[in-house]
Amino acid sequence: MKNLTQLFTAFLAIGLLIGGLSTSARAQSGDGFFPAIGTPPNPEVDARWDHYYNYKGITDLTKELAEAHPDLIKRQSIGQSVNGREIWALTVTNFQNGNPDNKPGIYIDGNIHSNEIQGAEMSLYTAWYLAETFGDIDYITNLLDQKVFYIVPTINPDAREHYMQEPNTPHTPRSGLKPVDDDGDGRYDEDGFDDLDGNGHITLMRRKTDRGNYRVDPKYPNKMNRVEDDEFGNYEILGYEGKDNDGDGEVNEDRVGYYDPNRDWAWNWQPDYIQRGAYKYPFSLPENRAVADFVLDHPNIAAAQSYHNSGGMILRGPGAREDVDTYNDQDVEVYNQLGNKGEKLLPGYDYLVVYKDLYSVFGGELDWFYGGRGIFTFSNELWTSYLMFNEEENSSEDRYQFNKNLLFGSAFVDWKEYDHPTYGKIEIGGFKKNFGRAHPGFLLEEDAHRNMAFTIYHAYQTPHLVIDEIDEKDLGGGLTQVTAVVTNTRIIPTHASQDLKNNIERPDYISIDGANVQAGMIVKNRDMNQTVEQKHSPAKLEVDNIPGMESVVVRWIISNNDDYTVTVNSAKGGVASKSK
Amino acid sequence: MKAIGKLLLSLSVLGMFVLCQPRQADAQDGYSTYEELTNQLQDLESSYSSYANLQSLTTTLGDRKVWMLTLGSGDVKNHPAVAVIGGAKGSHLLGSELALKFAENLLNQTSQDSIQQLLESTTFYVVPRLNPDAAEQLFADLKYARDGNAKATDDDRDGPVNEDGFEDLNGDGLITMMRVKDQAGKWMPYSNDERVMVKADINDGQRGSYQYYSEGRDNDQDGKYNEDGEGGVNLNKNFTYDYPNFTPGAGEHMASEKENRALMNFLYEKGKNVFAVMSFGPANNLSKPVKFNKGGVEKRVISSWFKEDVALNKYISKMYKDELSLKDAPSAPAQPGDLFQWAYFHYGRFSFSTPGWWTPVVTDSADEKQSFKNNKAEYLAWADQHDVDAFVEWTEVDHPDFPNKKVEVGGIKPGYMLNPPYEKVDSLAQQHTDFITKLAEDHPDVKLINFETESAGDNLTRISVDVYNDGVFPTASKLGERNRWVRKVKLSLTLGDGLSLVSGDRMRMIDSIAGDDDVKASWLVRGDGDFTIEAGAPITGFSTIEQTIN
Repeated sequence: MKNLTQLFTAFLAIGLLIGGLSTSARAQSGDGFFPAIGTPPNPEVDARWDHYYNYKGITDLTKELAEAHPDLIKRQSIGQSVNGREIWALTVTNFQNGNPDNKPGIYIDGNIHSNEIQGAEMSLYTAWYLAETFGDIDYITNLLDQKVFYIVPTINPDAREHYMQEPNTPHTPRSGLKPVDDDGDGRYDEDGFDDLDGNGHITLMRRKTDRGNYRVDPKYPNKMNRVEDDEFGNYEILGYEGKDNDGDGEVNEDRVGYYDPNRDWAWNWQPDYIQRGAYKYPFSLPENRAVADFVLDHPNIAAAQSYHNSGGMILRGPGAREDVDTYNDQDVEVYNQLGNKGEKLLPGYDYLVVYKDLYSVFGGELDWFYGGRGIFTFSNELWTSYLMFNEEENSSEDRYQFNKNLLFGSAFVDWKEYDHPTYGKIEIGGFKKNFGRAHPGFLLEEDAHRNMAFTIYHAYQTPHLVIDEIDEKDLGGGLTQVTAVVTNTRIIPTHASQDLKNNIERPDYISIDGANVQAGMIVKNRDMNQTVEQKHSPAKLEVDNIPGMESVVVRWIISNNDDYTVTVNSAKGGVASKSK
Repeated sequence: MKAIGKLLLSLSVLGMFVLCQPRQADAQDGYSTYEELTNQLQDLESSYSSYANLQSLTTTLGDRKVWMLTLGSGDVKNHPAVAVIGGAKGSHLLGSELALKFAENLLNQTSQDSIQQLLESTTFYVVPRLNPDAAEQLFADLKYARDGNAKATDDDRDGPVNEDGFEDLNGDGLITMMRVKDQAGKWMPYSNDERVMVKADINDGQRGSYQYYSEGRDNDQDGKYNEDGEGGVNLNKNFTYDYPNFTPGAGEHMASEKENRALMNFLYEKGKNVFAVMSFGPANNLSKPVKFNKGGVEKRVISSWFKEDVALNKYISKMYKDELSLKDAPSAPAQPGDLFQWAYFHYGRFSFSTPGWWTPVVTDSADEKQSFKNNKAEYLAWADQHDVDAFVEWTEVDHPDFPNKKVEVGGIKPGYMLNPPYEKVDSLAQQHTDFITKLAEDHPDVKLINFETESAGDNLTRISVDVYNDGVFPTASKLGERNRWVRKVKLSLTLGDGLSLVSGDRMRMIDSIAGDDDVKASWLVRGDGDFTIEAGAPITGFSTIEQTIN
């Protein structure tokens, strides 16, 4: 056994050497570096993963990627945002190998909540990594031969830009930019934040008072601590930077947007008075409509990931408690297999269920993908406080310590005096908008890689159909019995049980061409010879589902014995053929 | 009587054969085709240009316009409005006709002062035919009761689209029913009227002897007949409340259709002044008001009208029954995904719906009301009495799917049970016009009353006023109070130079004011000068007081 292991190690080492050699011509051409394992050593597109791309950055990078890898990446706009920005989508697959529409697909998007920006970087990194390692890493080469990735880095480009270019908190805008009358006074977006200190970050306002409920922390002078209920502090917190712009006695009550794009999806959608943030009706926001139309046009999408932040979660539905019965046992089993792997690949991330571990919410994107289309879908909540010190438990001090010792204080706007028109002498300060939810640069690439690895695992586990066996038996009288075995070698079935329950997607077709078919049947039990005949169009048998890691058996009685071909054609499982 | 009815029936059948026209000259003739509807709407707009404005909400996949005629004058956007909508269910031609004729009747009466006043203070958004693509099928060479628009849909969700539609087996241009003599069949002729087929009840000792299908072939040989023909999404199943996912005709997801979205976009964004939606469709809460269900208003997803709104429904229902000569409406519940429920539960407005017509009471020779257990038999009895040629007699046809069986085609003509003979429409339309007019007169109506100013000390003045709703309708339904798409009543005080506010709200949003109820407001101001008080919302109209303190 030990010998065997040693032998194997030796083989691996040789393999690595050969692998290394293939790229060494470029990697060691005097550029002054040596490749790190797992990272494309000399990419065609020299992208950086320690900063965030604004709209121009996304537009340029997606264009560059498509131009540098014309056989692997195609870029298209799937629609326009409220303010007319193109929503860029990358189709990543080996276009030289098969029709992408016939390959099982994974759909990945980011940034539906506009302040949750790094989903775009996770998405872009994925496209970049797949294209830059294709041909060098066999696993990736095979993956792009067999699968297709549909990657939409941002599905909320207007408000992403607003988050970056305009004064915001880490939590805003979240919405898109369609103007909404939040406070119902007939005016739209008339009282937003005011960047009183003019630094592009909306931080907090505090005021000194003997009857306050906050005190400055003795160790971290930027930190405000709430005092005990029976004590007075020397500060009060007045909320985020702002003024009463419309003179209605309220501050910042009608900011840009209002609605929540992740309450706009057509599965158990409920209106705003039930589910705050819903807009007029599902897909009443053009960005979401573009995604929905794209997904409806691509029935080969069998898996999906929608990136959010934050908290370190791998979330599945149901979003709403009322939808518990929609997710039944067989599908939950598939989710669990994928989600548990995700927990391993993503230290600090937990595999959770939205309605019971987060909150119960109607009309979310992952519920439409699964409930409405039968697509196995996760939402990863990117960034977790675990990543600060790789510790499960965090105290309220840790953010200040992380800022002090790892970011050297650059994440905080120090408290400064300000003369406010309503509140008088106040102080303004707090964490910057790009801290707390977005990754610090030095941790971004690692998390992008790990999250990508999870979506690659997810994509790999979409159905892969092979025709294992074609068996002939002479029945006499010129009749031959042909039995074919089709196996799905991955975890995800061609039809989720939610799909089967509602006939969302067409059945899988297993057909025989070139034979004179007399009868066709689905074999329920091959050993016991239990079959169900399909009377209409027997040459094209309809199979409800090819479950994950299982086989289906079909049979034809044919009256010639020439060459014929058996083909399985599945919307989500792809196409495979075998000739006699 | 029955014998005479049958005689008449067979005579008219004979007549039909003799005339042998492609489009039958029958009692149903007179309903407007899309082209006729369009012409009538355009004529109304040009004849009454000061009161009527025609626009298209969208163009359908079948390249027809969804017309909306706005009736009113002045600042129509800020007058309380009733949306009058027909034809969400395509085969319900009567609904279209009643909506169209409502507009026509109202405009024809604009010489009357009362109607002029109504149109100067109230707006009507009339959408006579939401699903023109479906409705047109009852005017086509091959007539059937179609509720689906022109979207290509896979109704049986088996992969192929529109692969198994109807066939006109008896060549009469109508799709009716088909019965196949078969010992294994579950259907049998109804004992009280053998033209009608009913399911046999073995628990009543009955045995079926027929299979019963709609008229056509099993084109895709899947054992089901006509389960996926042309005719896409039924718009009255595609709204967002209680949406029936994955059922035939409901569409791929809620609000998937242009027509629904165009209507909802208009009502949400522009129709802020709508206080009631009056739709003509299958549901009927005018003959019988909705019921209050306490559990239904306490859940997260509200599924019952609120008590106060039910009370108003009762009042409006009484008003309806007083206007309508047709009595004894059958119970007609709301349907999943329909317009009627959307208008209340999601749009937040009072929603009223009626089919506009149903089989009237059938009396026997002694003028006694006859009771029926089967609605088709009841309809046919009425049709016989009134010489309505509504039935295609069962006739044998050769059917390739049943080579060795006796197959007959027949049944009630498509659309007949929904749409009365056209000669009935004028009087129905007048009664419904009178009803809608009356309903509209009860609109929420905010007025500023009991206005006073008094000195409250040196250089201080107290201003007080009551914001009063002079209508019967509240300024928001109980459900609407929670709904951000229903504007609250805004009360504001604007001070000119020389005046400053000492106490009171410069602006205040009032959730709702019930009919004949008021909300009191007062302010303390300092100094001299002009001020303006304004109260209202698009749903109530606006009222203003301008004064000066010297």
